[in-house]
Amino acid sequence: MLETLVTKLADTTWSIGLHESLHMYAITESTHVLSIMLFVGTIAMVDFRLLGIAFTKVQVSQMLSRMLPWTIFGFVLLVVTGSMLFLAIPVRTYHSIWFRLKLLMILIAAINIAIFTFKVERDKAAWDLGDVPRKSKICAVISLGAWACVIIFGRLIAYNWFDCESITSPIMAKITGCHLDPG
Amino acid sequence: MTPYQIAENIEASGLGQIIRESTWLFPIIEATHLLALALLGGSILIMSLSILGWGLKAPLADLYTSAHRYLNAAVFALLFTGVLLGVSEPVKLYGREAFWVKMSSLLVSLVVTYCVFNPLVRRGVASWGLRGATVLTIAAWLAVAMAGRWIGFS
Repeated sequence: MLETLVTKLADTTWSIGLHESLHMYAITESTHVLSIMLFVGTIAMVDFRLLGIAFTKVQVSQMLSRMLPWTIFGFVLLVVTGSMLFLAIPVRTYHSIWFRLKLLMILIAAINIAIFTFKVERDKAAWDLGDVPRKSKICAVISLGAWACVIIFGRLIAYNWFDCESITSPIMAKITGCHLDPG
Repeated sequence: MTPYQIAENIEASGLGQIIRESTWLFPIIEATHLLALALLGGSILIMSLSILGWGLKAPLADLYTSAHRYLNAAVFALLFTGVLLGVSEPVKLYGREAFWVKMSSLLVSLVVTYCVFNPLVRRGVASWGLRGATVLTIAAWLAVAMAGRWIGFS
């Protein structure tokens, strides 16, 4: 089903246009990379604060509220440019193991954000300037790890080691949704 | 020895060969370069946004104490991984305009950051000069990152 969809996507004029236009593709990818500085950069600073290794004189609540708009701005830029990059090369990206691992890491990071927002930071008034509780620090470590993996896996999408043509093992075929050559 | 011959010698060096011939080394160094870029962005932005009135409301000198360590770590990691990437394909880089644009804007960024921006932030006094230096610092680093990404496209 999804595979039919991405194959159809590849035939749209939008996809072909993005793929064929050297400048449009390059500008989109550069903006995607530059937005990392805004998005992961601000997240890392907040996580360092939670870990107690930076900005300890700034309240946690201020750190969260004043940085969040910039993190969201970065996220919007990343999703827009990321979708355009997917649209430009839909079939190959859909099968890419790195793209799939990247989505998995984004999912883990999102669940971590939900747990932090709805459970962990509820009582932050009690530790706004004092000792940050361990559960918050665990969230910070998961966040740093997950977003670092998103960057690493994202970069690796460019490499063709595990493209469908070079996959021979049934397990890898299952993970990537590639079809093995019969015989 | 001409600059081109120097590039050829570096390309033939043992380190250059090891990185070039390995499947994983170049991509992993590249990814680390990107991780350091995120750290650079975060540490500069947290000071810059506050200076421009769009970020934290905290004494600048306090922000500087923490942020400049991460800034230094990021710059060190970027230069270290950058040199490794460069050593693996210097002849290709020598012929690319984007590489020279990147190196010139990198020089400007380092000078502006360490000779103008950092000293002003450390002093902690908000001024129009500091705001100007902030905008210039961000613009310079954006140029470095943009030219860097462009090396791969040109």
